[in-house]
Amino acid sequence: MQSVAEFDNVGLRYGTGAETLTDVSFKLFPGSFYFLTGASGAGKTSLLKLLYLAHRPSRGAIRMFGEDLVAMPRSRLPGFRRRIGVVFQDFRLVQHLSAFDNIALPLRIAGISERDLVGPVNEMLDWIGLTERASARPATLSGGEQQRVAIARAVIGRPEMLVADEPTGNVDPDMALRLLKLFAALNRLGTTVVVATHDIHLLQEIEGAQMMRLDKGRLSDPTGALRHPPRPLILRN
Amino acid sequence: MRLPFTANPHERQLIPDGRFTGPMPWVMAIMLFLSLIAAAAALALAQSARQGSESLSRQATVQILETDADARVAQQREVASLLRKQPDVTAATLVPESEARALLEPWLGDIASDSGIPVPALVEVEFSNAPDAARLQSIKRDLSRIAPSVRIDGNAQWLKPWFDLIASMLWLALAIVLLLLFATGATVALAVRGALNTHKGTIEIMHMMGGTDLQVARLFQRRVALDSLFGGVLGLALAVVVILLLGERVAALEPGLLAGASVPLYGWLLLLFIPVAVTGLSMAMARWTVLSTLKKML
Repeated sequence: MQSVAEFDNVGLRYGTGAETLTDVSFKLFPGSFYFLTGASGAGKTSLLKLLYLAHRPSRGAIRMFGEDLVAMPRSRLPGFRRRIGVVFQDFRLVQHLSAFDNIALPLRIAGISERDLVGPVNEMLDWIGLTERASARPATLSGGEQQRVAIARAVIGRPEMLVADEPTGNVDPDMALRLLKLFAALNRLGTTVVVATHDIHLLQEIEGAQMMRLDKGRLSDPTGALRHPPRPLILRN
Repeated sequence: MRLPFTANPHERQLIPDGRFTGPMPWVMAIMLFLSLIAAAAALALAQSARQGSESLSRQATVQILETDADARVAQQREVASLLRKQPDVTAATLVPESEARALLEPWLGDIASDSGIPVPALVEVEFSNAPDAARLQSIKRDLSRIAPSVRIDGNAQWLKPWFDLIASMLWLALAIVLLLLFATGATVALAVRGALNTHKGTIEIMHMMGGTDLQVARLFQRRVALDSLFGGVLGLALAVVVILLLGERVAALEPGLLAGASVPLYGWLLLLFIPVAVTGLSMAMARWTVLSTLKKML
């Protein structure tokens, strides 16, 4: 089975500092669901940044969607980024755009016409319960509402891989579960999902999800997901 | 239909316009105003130089320094008559003695009008082409047979330093226009770099969503184009007012060396074209600045 992402002895350091990630090797398989855990400062966000192509590794090899990322010219990166949905830890919404326009952003960047994007964006607003607040700007939304907009923005383009950094950190348990169900639904449609989280309760919600654990920049593989193809996913509740 | 260098209305929202609030349009207006004034000066000087070289350079003045008044007048008529027979002479005009005396008045005062003081008899000659020194010498030889005391001065000879000065000023004006255009380009580059820094977060988000550098560049090109166009129109309007006012002052001068210094029709078209060209230049500069800056990002 061809992997979605393959890391081979990857190291990452910022500037001249010590390595944030050391000898990280794994494969992510299509349609699988991964949780990435680890203490604060373990390198979760750095690993996700490599996954969503915000950084190139300092050493080692990365293949994404079957292509060598390290040798890939910069001009080809946008095409790959459009295949990846990202939920940032700090949401990173465009502050002067409305909730509607933030969610529509990936579709507009991809060149989808206004006529074709209005329906899906409204559907997504309805799903995250923010239809009434479609024209609100992020500054007027609560932390949880902003997070839902950020998640809607990440998934609206039906990405092949979804990378989420602490996506449920600012929402109540009910909303966290609903978001997780959305991720699971996307996963069942074939999207590979990688969720970095501290929340160990989330890990128990999805049976069959694989766990990767980072400890001081080194990856351990408690569920064996990185050595074996994933099992079918079962969402509890 | 959308032109390839412009962003659509929804893309435009990503970088709020903020036109007329920042210094950029006003700086562009000042730059354009100065460029247009310098260009207008260059065009007027070029026009003046052309007219001068076309008319004044074709003229010469013949002086007959005969002391005997009757002989002087007779020689003046014969000289004019001989000159008119020359194939390259289009006109030979006798200058009345009163005019010759009036020419001396600024130097001699009222005494110049004293008929007791002899003044040279003058003949203004116009050639079909500006005569060179050899041709003037040849004519002098012919005229000497009628009037031994004859002198002939080609205007081109004494006008040469003036035309050299005009040529230098013309090149200086063109250099000023080029320097101002260069400064305008540098201003655009600085403004775009500042705006890129201001909107760095939005640009990073666009990149993470798969936005290309060209998509980002289009946003800045449009913004810079609007600022340049606003500055260009304002600078042009001010420059036209100033050029027209100066033109009136030049027109009020006595006919002389600066009389032909006006902006010709093709010059006005060129002046109108400058703001459009600067807008294009600014857009190209904005595009280059954005693309070269974003190259350093992943």
